[in-house]
Amino acid sequence: MNDITDLEVREGVDRETVETVANMGSYKYGWDTEIEMEYAPKGLSEDIVRLISEKNGEPEWMTDWRLKAYRRWVTMQEPSWAMLNYPEIDFQDQYYYARPKSMEAKPKSLDEVDPKLLATYEKLGIPLKEQMILAGVEGADAAPADGRKVAVDAVFDSVSVGTTFKDELAKAGVIFCSISEAIREHPELVQKYLGSVVPPTDNFYATLNSAVFSDGSFVYIPPGVTCPMELSTYFRINAENTGQFERTLIIADKGSYVSYLEGCTAPKRDTAQLHAAVVEIVVLEDAEVKYSTVQNWFPGDEDGNGGIYNFVTKRADCREARAKVMWTQVETGSAITWKYPSCVLRGDDSQGEFYSIAITNNHQQADTGTKMIHLGKNTRSRIVSKGISAGKAQNTYRGLVSMHPKATNSRNYTQCDSLLIGDKCGAHTVPYIEVKNASSRVEHEATTSKVDDDQLFYCRQRGMDEEEAVAVIVNGFAKEVLQALPMEFAMEAQSLVAISLEGSVG
Amino acid sequence: MLKINNLHAKLEDEDKQILKGVSLEVPAGEVHAIMGPNGSGKSTTSYVLSGRDGYEVTDGSATLYGEDLLEMEPEERAAAGLFLAFQYPVEIPGVGNMTFLRTALNAQRKRRGEEELSAAEFLKLIREKGKALNIDADMLKRPVNVGFSGGEKKRNEILQMAVLEPKMCILDETDSGLDVDAMRLVADGVNALRAPDRAFLVITHYQRLLDHIRPDVVHIMSDGKIVKTGGPELALEVEQNGYADLLSEVA
Amino acid sequence: MADTAITMRQVTPDIAEGGDADPALSARLDVLDLPAGGFTAAARKDALARLRAVGLPKPRDEYWRYTNPAAFNAPVPDPIPLAEQGPDSPLFLERKRLTLVFVDGAFDAAASDDLALEGVEVGLLSTADADETHWSGEIYGRLEAAAQERVARPMAALNTAAARDGVLVRVTGQPSKPIHIIHRRKDESADVYYHHVIRLEPGAELTLLETGMTGARSNFVAEVDLAEGARFHHITAKRAGHEKLGWGGVFARVAAEAVFKSFTLSVNGTMMRHEAIIDIVGDDAVAHVAAAVLGDANRGPFHHDDTVFITHSAERCESRQVFKKVLKNGAKGIFQGKILVEPGAQKTDGYQISQALLLDEDSQFLGKPELEIYADDVQCSHGSTTGAIDETALFYLRSRGVPRDRAIVLMVLSFLADALEEVEDESLREEISDRLDAWLTRHA
Repeated sequence: MNDITDLEVREGVDRETVETVANMGSYKYGWDTEIEMEYAPKGLSEDIVRLISEKNGEPEWMTDWRLKAYRRWVTMQEPSWAMLNYPEIDFQDQYYYARPKSMEAKPKSLDEVDPKLLATYEKLGIPLKEQMILAGVEGADAAPADGRKVAVDAVFDSVSVGTTFKDELAKAGVIFCSISEAIREHPELVQKYLGSVVPPTDNFYATLNSAVFSDGSFVYIPPGVTCPMELSTYFRINAENTGQFERTLIIADKGSYVSYLEGCTAPKRDTAQLHAAVVEIVVLEDAEVKYSTVQNWFPGDEDGNGGIYNFVTKRADCREARAKVMWTQVETGSAITWKYPSCVLRGDDSQGEFYSIAITNNHQQADTGTKMIHLGKNTRSRIVSKGISAGKAQNTYRGLVSMHPKATNSRNYTQCDSLLIGDKCGAHTVPYIEVKNASSRVEHEATTSKVDDDQLFYCRQRGMDEEEAVAVIVNGFAKEVLQALPMEFAMEAQSLVAISLEGSVG
Repeated sequence: MLKINNLHAKLEDEDKQILKGVSLEVPAGEVHAIMGPNGSGKSTTSYVLSGRDGYEVTDGSATLYGEDLLEMEPEERAAAGLFLAFQYPVEIPGVGNMTFLRTALNAQRKRRGEEELSAAEFLKLIREKGKALNIDADMLKRPVNVGFSGGEKKRNEILQMAVLEPKMCILDETDSGLDVDAMRLVADGVNALRAPDRAFLVITHYQRLLDHIRPDVVHIMSDGKIVKTGGPELALEVEQNGYADLLSEVA
Repeated sequence: MADTAITMRQVTPDIAEGGDADPALSARLDVLDLPAGGFTAAARKDALARLRAVGLPKPRDEYWRYTNPAAFNAPVPDPIPLAEQGPDSPLFLERKRLTLVFVDGAFDAAASDDLALEGVEVGLLSTADADETHWSGEIYGRLEAAAQERVARPMAALNTAAARDGVLVRVTGQPSKPIHIIHRRKDESADVYYHHVIRLEPGAELTLLETGMTGARSNFVAEVDLAEGARFHHITAKRAGHEKLGWGGVFARVAAEAVFKSFTLSVNGTMMRHEAIIDIVGDDAVAHVAAAVLGDANRGPFHHDDTVFITHSAERCESRQVFKKVLKNGAKGIFQGKILVEPGAQKTDGYQISQALLLDEDSQFLGKPELEIYADDVQCSHGSTTGAIDETALFYLRSRGVPRDRAIVLMVLSFLADALEEVEDESLREEISDRLDAWLTRHA
């Protein structure tokens, strides 16, 4: 029996395909929660920025920081270089702040949180009770017997509903709380690091976020500490016509380690919703951060109505020697994805990795990839991107590998593969390669092809229907990335692959 | 069990008739061989029966236990009990052998209205079958056919056969690319699977495989038709005199 | 079509915004005495309108991301002394060929052969332009204009408006020898524009050799129209003129079963940009574009930009882009290559490789190898590598007794081999290879 368990674990990543395929259904998280909300008036102005700051009980320096960003933002143009085609966004026709009324008086602990909110997360498979839980996995019969703890920060529209395991984390010196709480409780850390990776002037969406971000997560891992559990944030957009602008700041001090998971869903609505987040990660000497995302925003319906417009700036700064960061993303949702999680490899011998699966079906469009900016000596980066395009979708990998003159003896390896399912979709690869020193080596490979007919027939001859066969082959195609995810996430991602491709064949 | 009557098929894209009236019947428990020169339509027969794209049936019928195979999708034929051991088993990078086989088995079971196997039950089954066929667990963990030697690929086909337990097994040139030892291993696997309720159709160019898998009936195929049917001695005749003699005699 | 709209918005904001009144462009045009043209008059007028619509290239244009267009935008080039001849004798002189000599972009009849070659009609833009019914009227400026629909290429439009000379070659048969165009310089400050039109009728074949340098600054366009089953091979070898400043664009339309192949050898040049824009419009056609670039910036800046855009709009076609750059002493190599597969261009086989060998710390390679694919049954891939010479291999050669300098030359030649393979004719390939060997040995 012992060796069987052994084998199951090793096979764990893909053994869920069967259940997945059996459970295939359309977007599972499309319901909404009826709850009384409090909104700021529609539109954006200095007053709205002040209001958001005030609602969060922020000190003056923070209000000023936001206002500076806002004033900058009004002078900026929305970028148009991505291969994305969407109707013009009216930034004045959005709510920039929405929170459940029950959150007005901040609950002191999760016990005081509105049961409706807790039920929402329960339904999403994210129980907010402090117990042995498996992030984001419903009915996973493969739970390891010794279930792992995952601390969760749950963000509902504009506010953080609650954060679990805070006390236990505090014992290890780890700070895990909402960013609004961090601004109040840990101003010295926030002031030192906020905007130091993604400056408020960085780009149109990041600047917008800097002005209006309402909540998000804050993580600080002190020197030498290995975070005792995985941390996760679960973002839920619920309110209509409401943008979500969360801000995440993760600081891994010298020699520390943390694995961080991010999940997101939104109700099915037939109008598009805006999401413009910023994630900043600071990695100091010898520290390591793993950041995994399973992005499952509502992708819009089969005719391309509704869905989330996702414009996200994520960047990690390996600020000191031997810092290490790994981005893993599974992008299945969103009508529009504009997202380039990047690594600035500043410290000597620092390392950046980017593993991505982007699946687009129906009318979805994704323009996503990464930037690896090599500044320090002996820096290493690796990019593995798997794009799958079906229906009438457009899927673009866009990436930059830059070796600065001083980044001597550095290495990059990039592999970008695209798979096309059907003849109405598109798959594109737009890599930028900039090598400014000769001792570094850069290798880039990219392929585009369709699901192999022989593989398809082989699977069908063994009894799988076409959709199952495609799901199996696509999971194989994306295996290298799925393996980079924490196990529970990998299983969820695997199911998502199949669900996302529903209706793409035949 | 398997009844093929006057089967005509052509390539979908070209006006080239390949099968020109194949008729044969394989009863349960028997092993039949189809032999014939290159280009006679042997492999096409296996593809048409299993429903590969690219062929158009222009006339005739093929049934398995009275069910019309030609109307079914490939996976429906598989669930109905038809198994094709490929001449060139396909490599599927990234997909573990175990996952592949479990997905296939449960898909077939589901289609037949049978209970699906849990991970543990499946593991037990595959270990049992693997052991019986002398296939080590390491091979099961690797991606489907990727990096397998020719012999390993064919043994993997036999393992799949053992796990899926089909009624009607078609072996398409299973001996191609195998040395004598590998061929013996594969043949042993097939022989172990012979059963009163299972039939085999062994497609081969050479007689040598039939030394190891003894057929009950041998059909000689030429230019898209079965031109002669007889006992195992027919295979020996081909071995000794070649196809030319036999075919001229038929003509 | 929505897809095109995306591309348009991405690369040609100026067209979309209807930009005009570019003072730099006015200054640029003021010093040019634009010909009125005969059969080309309408095409020249259209080209000028296009140019005014998009303006001169700007450093912030995505299409000029890695090459600053300032030197091409300046109204007049800096003069370059004529003294230089370089240590190499010109290439291809020993073979049978029809020689056409251009001096600073103008045909030199005295130095050229008679314009007679069986199966080929050779004309000149300078003399034929008066003929209102000339066959090339259907092509002149038209392939260039079609290519502007996806990406604004102001330099090419400028050429169509400004060029006074060039060859007009129509091939109906399979000539026994290649045409060899030799460029020479006479005026140290000449700003040269020339424009070739090449039309191969069904089943026709032509090899075109082009060597030498021209002007203080050059701008050339070749429009190549290949009918069904035609085969065209263009081999260009740029002389070792170090100060050279040039922009050139080849615009090809490739019909069913036709074969287009080009190979360019570039050795030095201050600021060079070569564009190849190839539209594969017929089924089962083939297009290969290759280049070997050697840049040694020890005597001043070296900047070489290859920009390629291959569009597949037919089925079962094959395209290959093979670009190899060897860079030294701070030389800068650029590659922007794109494979666009249109909806319905099934069974496309597209391949692209760009590689740079950096022989010292200061050199740079900047690349943007792109795929844009709207058909599913395709095999498209690209690869790009950049790095230094492999020390292990170098050591292996040396341990077998090859001196270090020679070992490096051998390794560089092997690095360039894939690009050279694209020269079909073996004797031509050998001649070019020998020339490369000599250059490398001299610069080792």
